[in-house]
Amino acid sequence: MKQPKYLFNAGRMSRKDNTLKFTPVDEAGVEEQPRYLPIEQVGDLYVFGSLDANSALYNFLGQEGIAVHFFNYYEHYTGSFMPREYLLAGKMQVDQTKHYMTAKKRIEIARRFVEGAANNILRVLKYYNNRDKVKDLTEAIVSIERLLVSVPTTTDVPMLMGIEGNIRQTYYGCFDAIVGQTFCMDGRSKRPPQNELNALISFGNMLCYTACLSTIYHTQLNPTISFLHEPGARRYSLALDLSEVFKPILVDRLIFRMINKRQLQPSDFRSEVGGCVLKDAARKRFVQGFDEQLKETIKHRALGRSVSYRHLMKLECYKLQKHLLGVEEYRPFKAWW
Amino acid sequence: MYVILVYDMGQKRVGKMLKLCRRYMNWIQNSVFEGELTEVQLRELLHEAKRIMNEEEDSLILFKNRDLKWLDKQIVGVERQSTDNFL
Repeated sequence: MKQPKYLFNAGRMSRKDNTLKFTPVDEAGVEEQPRYLPIEQVGDLYVFGSLDANSALYNFLGQEGIAVHFFNYYEHYTGSFMPREYLLAGKMQVDQTKHYMTAKKRIEIARRFVEGAANNILRVLKYYNNRDKVKDLTEAIVSIERLLVSVPTTTDVPMLMGIEGNIRQTYYGCFDAIVGQTFCMDGRSKRPPQNELNALISFGNMLCYTACLSTIYHTQLNPTISFLHEPGARRYSLALDLSEVFKPILVDRLIFRMINKRQLQPSDFRSEVGGCVLKDAARKRFVQGFDEQLKETIKHRALGRSVSYRHLMKLECYKLQKHLLGVEEYRPFKAWW
Repeated sequence: MYVILVYDMGQKRVGKMLKLCRRYMNWIQNSVFEGELTEVQLRELLHEAKRIMNEEEDSLILFKNRDLKWLDKQIVGVERQSTDNFL
């Protein structure tokens, strides 16, 4: 099983004996004991610390099909090193583009993404609504359900995005009720996030986005042609579409769980100029939690076997492919537990 | 499948074996590796290992386990190297 590797320590990554050698460097610049990463087991590299590497390494990673995701000091996603596409499929590409070009076909897929996202949001809210400690969320649930009903009647993407925005706003309004004692939401703020909870959401969403991006890379889909989000220049917008569906289940639930179990405290954050970011140890804990979440398995109803959340992402890509090729209609993943 | 691999090689071949194993599994101690492998990966590894080994003299032992969760790992003394995904 290929597993992602998360690099928090500064150090040097190099190619050695056809595998990866990571030499951590401490603050004084002294090299520590190197560690070899078995190349056959490495899924992706997530680089949070500073990494020394040369082109020989990137050639090797490219050859092995391993992507490297970079994050800057402020925990923003800065970009990815994506190896050459290896699953090329002209027909898939043509069909994907066709579905984007035809307004009717595009909105149909876009609606499904919103539906999937909203359903998973409702699942999260309903779970917390049953908790004694949490204030009553029924009002929010009802209003999201009402918004969800209007999704099938939308005729263009901006209108759909509007509804999606309203759903999210209502949803974020509930965060205070769920984790209110220790943290305060105070509205969603981005670029940069203004408080602790917003920093967590941004950071988590970014992890989810990169996980989706890697998954898409291992399918025939083109990551730049999207349906709900507008395909822009210099970004992988299909990963944005896909992550919408998984964010509530993967990221938000993790945030609630970690806060409610006091695994994250206000002291785990530091204020930067005009924003708020996670401290190193807490960031590591959060990424660890996210990694465990992805490895978590559920019994898949249709397949009749256990699949991990990471694999669910892949299944989602396959379903989308089938839709684009006209084999089977795409039905978004909806959590049922 | 979760595998623990131990080997004992003649001095000339031990370095080659080390390098081969590093590509597939996590090093935990001298001549000891562990890691999650697929059937195919294990076969690849053994195929290459046999080419390095002198089967008259050297030995390679595998402990195989269906899943890591059935394995209880206890470390006494120093952990020479951890095997997690966070470094």
